[in-house]
Amino acid sequence: MNALPLTIYVSFAGALLALAAGARSPSVARWVALATALIAWAIVLVAAAQFVPAPGLQDLVDLPWIAELGIRYHLAVDGISLTLLVLTGLAATAGVLFSWDIGHRVGEFFALYLALIGGVYGVFLSADAFTFFVFYEIAIVPKYFLIANWGSPATREHAAMKLVLYSFAGSALVLAGLLWANAAAVAHGAPSSFGLHDLAAAATQFSRGEQIGLFALVFTGFAVLAGMFPFHTWAPTGHVAAPTAASMLLAGVVMKLGAYGCLRVALPLFPVGLGFWQPTMAALAIMGIIYAGFIALVQDDFKFVIGYSSVSHMGFVLLGLAAANATAVAGAVLQMFSHGVIAGLLFAVVGRMVYERTHTRKLADLRQLPLYRLLPFAALTFVLAGLASMGLPGFSGFPAELTILIGVWKTSPAWAVFAGFGLLVAAAFTLRAIQVSFFGSTQPAPVAASASEPTHDAHAQAYAPITIAEKSGAALLLAATVYIGLKPDILLDWITPALQSPLMQSALKGGAL
Amino acid sequence: MTTTTVAYFPTILLVPLISAAVIALFLRRQGNAAAAVSLAAAAFVAFDGLRLALGGGRFESATEWLRLGDLAISLGFKFDDLAALMLVIVGLVGLCVHVFSLGYMADDTAKARYFGGLSIFMFSMLGIVFADNLFMMFIFWELVGFSSYVLINHWHEKQSAADASKKAFIANRVGDFGFLLGIVMCYWLNGTVNLTELAAKGEAHTLVVSTLLPLLLFCGAVGKSAQLPLHVWLPDAMEGPTPVSALIHAATMVAAGIYMLCRINVLMVPDALTVILWTGTATALYAALCAITQSDIKKVLAYSTLSQLGYMVAAFGLGSMSETDAHNGVTHTHVYAVGVGAAMFHLTTHAFFKALMFLGSGAVIHGCHHEQDILKMGGLRTRMPVTFWTFTIGVAAIIGFPYLAGFFSKDAILYLAFAKNTPVFVLLALTAVLTSLYMVRLWKLTFLGAPRSDHAAHAHEGGLTLTLPLVLLAALSLVAGYHTHYPAVFAGVFDLIPEAHGTEHTIIFATSLAVMLVGGSIAWFFYRSTPTDTLADKAPGLFAALAALKHSFDRAYDYYVAKIQQRFALFVNFFEQIFLAGLIVRGLAGFVGLFGLGARALHVGNLNAYVYWFLLGLVGLWLFATGLVTL
Repeated sequence: MNALPLTIYVSFAGALLALAAGARSPSVARWVALATALIAWAIVLVAAAQFVPAPGLQDLVDLPWIAELGIRYHLAVDGISLTLLVLTGLAATAGVLFSWDIGHRVGEFFALYLALIGGVYGVFLSADAFTFFVFYEIAIVPKYFLIANWGSPATREHAAMKLVLYSFAGSALVLAGLLWANAAAVAHGAPSSFGLHDLAAAATQFSRGEQIGLFALVFTGFAVLAGMFPFHTWAPTGHVAAPTAASMLLAGVVMKLGAYGCLRVALPLFPVGLGFWQPTMAALAIMGIIYAGFIALVQDDFKFVIGYSSVSHMGFVLLGLAAANATAVAGAVLQMFSHGVIAGLLFAVVGRMVYERTHTRKLADLRQLPLYRLLPFAALTFVLAGLASMGLPGFSGFPAELTILIGVWKTSPAWAVFAGFGLLVAAAFTLRAIQVSFFGSTQPAPVAASASEPTHDAHAQAYAPITIAEKSGAALLLAATVYIGLKPDILLDWITPALQSPLMQSALKGGAL
Repeated sequence: MTTTTVAYFPTILLVPLISAAVIALFLRRQGNAAAAVSLAAAAFVAFDGLRLALGGGRFESATEWLRLGDLAISLGFKFDDLAALMLVIVGLVGLCVHVFSLGYMADDTAKARYFGGLSIFMFSMLGIVFADNLFMMFIFWELVGFSSYVLINHWHEKQSAADASKKAFIANRVGDFGFLLGIVMCYWLNGTVNLTELAAKGEAHTLVVSTLLPLLLFCGAVGKSAQLPLHVWLPDAMEGPTPVSALIHAATMVAAGIYMLCRINVLMVPDALTVILWTGTATALYAALCAITQSDIKKVLAYSTLSQLGYMVAAFGLGSMSETDAHNGVTHTHVYAVGVGAAMFHLTTHAFFKALMFLGSGAVIHGCHHEQDILKMGGLRTRMPVTFWTFTIGVAAIIGFPYLAGFFSKDAILYLAFAKNTPVFVLLALTAVLTSLYMVRLWKLTFLGAPRSDHAAHAHEGGLTLTLPLVLLAALSLVAGYHTHYPAVFAGVFDLIPEAHGTEHTIIFATSLAVMLVGGSIAWFFYRSTPTDTLADKAPGLFAALAALKHSFDRAYDYYVAKIQQRFALFVNFFEQIFLAGLIVRGLAGFVGLFGLGARALHVGNLNAYVYWFLLGLVGLWLFATGLVTL
């Protein structure tokens, strides 16, 4: 378990190695990237096997960093972060597999990719707000370059710029909040520190006004990255412009950074602020769920459908946090994992399997093709991912959204009704996407439809078959969503004790309406 | 009869799941092998189901699936008399449908997907039957919905099939939305969703009840059992292969709503029962009126199914009866859940005769080369004798011909209505008249007279796989009504069937005979074997009115989808474009101004549209939020 910090270093080392290798042989760079992702993931899984769930963070590294300000390089883990570390390893590995065919500046691509992953591991392991923030920034920068250099040419500049502006604006709010919290702590007589425990202890002395202001700054800053309405517009455009692997990471992991920041920093540090803002948070979350759902219903760009569906599903995470009871928050963490896997899968199908072959994302064009026959594997994967996304039992989305709904009802039945309505909208836009994209082509078929074999062959030759890398990536993600769908207890057994920690308990108390 | 609690996962549930998995993983291209595997699984379910049910052993078991602090969701099995009865129905009809499908789907190119779908359906349906708590029931509830979606969509190249499957899924989701909220509410009110624990609480009078709770749960039944106003998906679901219509959309899945209601009978309160009663009655009458104008053989049967489901729901809604008897000077009041008895009894008989008629219609469609229009049929009596005679038994059973299955179960419901609610009794009797009318019309137009098309003239009986299930189901339709002769193992259900005695018995018998004869004779003497609908010819006004009645709901929903939902979505999308454009075009200014990160914004960006929108939205959200607090 103490090997967990290695995930960060391995990823950064792998990034350098891939950069160096890429100059000579793209193929070596690919294998370096895959090996790095796998090693880091293996470290996480070994640690997970040894993990003993307990309330509170379990220290891994705790070194003084900037002594004058009381900043420490402090890494620790609990059940919540472990869940997200497993997700990161999984998404990173799958992402490499879906980027296997990148042909342009391969070394740099994977270097940036792995640097992003290293930053993400760092965020999930940080127990010091300043360390947290540094890793958070490290994760944001490579995203810009990934989109701006490898994204879809028409929109990538705007999208990358927008994404980075939003991210940095969010970071600015977070930083301002943290500095303010630090200053306020010192003003209340506490020694200068950015440790989450220290800040939380000091924050109990803060005035109600300070708590409310601080919560607003820090929560909003993080929630921007979680795609909270109305700060979500970076997400769909960013997803659409990004290369597949980056969309996968963006929706799969980076949006979780925001939600994780809310849960790890904003809620426990400023419970009074949470109590004040709770109804607003819930309203914004519900708006996001329903608003984005309706938009997804009328998009003509396949990737935009998935992009808005991500915003809608992340609304459930934010709603779970807003409900702020143990059930709802546990559900929110489960949903972070679940959505990370499912969104990755959806983007992989749309951006990689379909777009790279058909060179169109317009649903109007796709529905002209008998795509389910041309790309049966992609069709099957998309249907399964769609079912998972709709929260069908047997997939991870079901226990996640069910748990959130149960928890939210406890805080406010009215919120649960709205969220339930959101599930309906989700079914509508997902079914539409499935039908229009893969099964849109309607032919005058007799009752016992006999597939017109000649057309089948003609088209099949036009499209390259789904590669082994793509199949393995899809199988990996599908297995994860089914496994957690059948045995959610694996994650919940980690998450539930973590919510018993004093820090989380103070957050949940603050949120008791 | 013993009740034991064991940690046990019924093999009977596992077998169809394995069958589905084997087909999905290994037999996707081997249609015949897939059919064999699926058939074997169905045969196992039928025989093992009979063994379990008739063996008399009853058990409960539970294993924890998901735990969150105090909240535990378990996967458990409750096998009581009610479940045993349902298991037998699902097993027998399932087996018949599988055998029938061998012949009916012999030439289908996607046979493996079809039989895989049937297996996954059997698994999901049995899950509902065995579920010991509402969460587990909901899980399988969703899964039957999914298998129904896949099977309706079997011929997905047809736009109508694709639309129908989507409609079915969404309509069911609307119902499930209420169902799920009801389950969550039940959990927070009573601390458990386990059926046995709820029943125990009910007996101890510690159950927290409310009118809202049973009504939310009832939403699930409204969706799955296609009651007004969510019934619209069922007629469209006829786009699926006919054996699927027989199994899923007539005998088993659509009856799951009634089964679920019987499971949660303890939660019912009078106000909720009144709503349920009138929903069922309205559905029964409405669907019977719609059935009269249909000329597609499957659509007639679909509306008939709706109507009969309405009957069952109404029966349930009639609720309990109490009997007071004085014994040794002490008065005892016994409350009998006769509504449950009557509803389940009719569910049982209906499953057999309706599956019979659907499979019969499948045989007709198969024999007439996929002709489904009864106006183009006629004369099949001599060409398809087995189908004719078995179908006739089915028709006789549903119209309540004395001493056939439907006669007994319908009389039980009519008696209950007679005893408890006169307006409902009148309406249900009227529905019975209409039932007799449209069924005799269907029967006459299809089988009697001269053939009215080449297809009908060249109709032929299918093979043994098609006729054998018809014969078995016809036999069941003959005998299923004699509930006093059922094995004692179903006593938990059949002891609750209300029975009329004395004068009441005579009144009910006379009523039921009269309504059957009236409806039947109208149809017999009125309808002519012509290629046009006699009613449309003779009374076009009435015909148009009935057709308009049928279309009214579809029109309302179409209007909602096209004019309200779509427009709302487009409006929201337009709004979002302003967001996007505001940032793409005037990105920096809007953005920086937004967060107040620099005075620069004041110089560069006039308060552009984006900021207006944003502020407006913020105010709106605040109002929304404060509104929510007071909710």
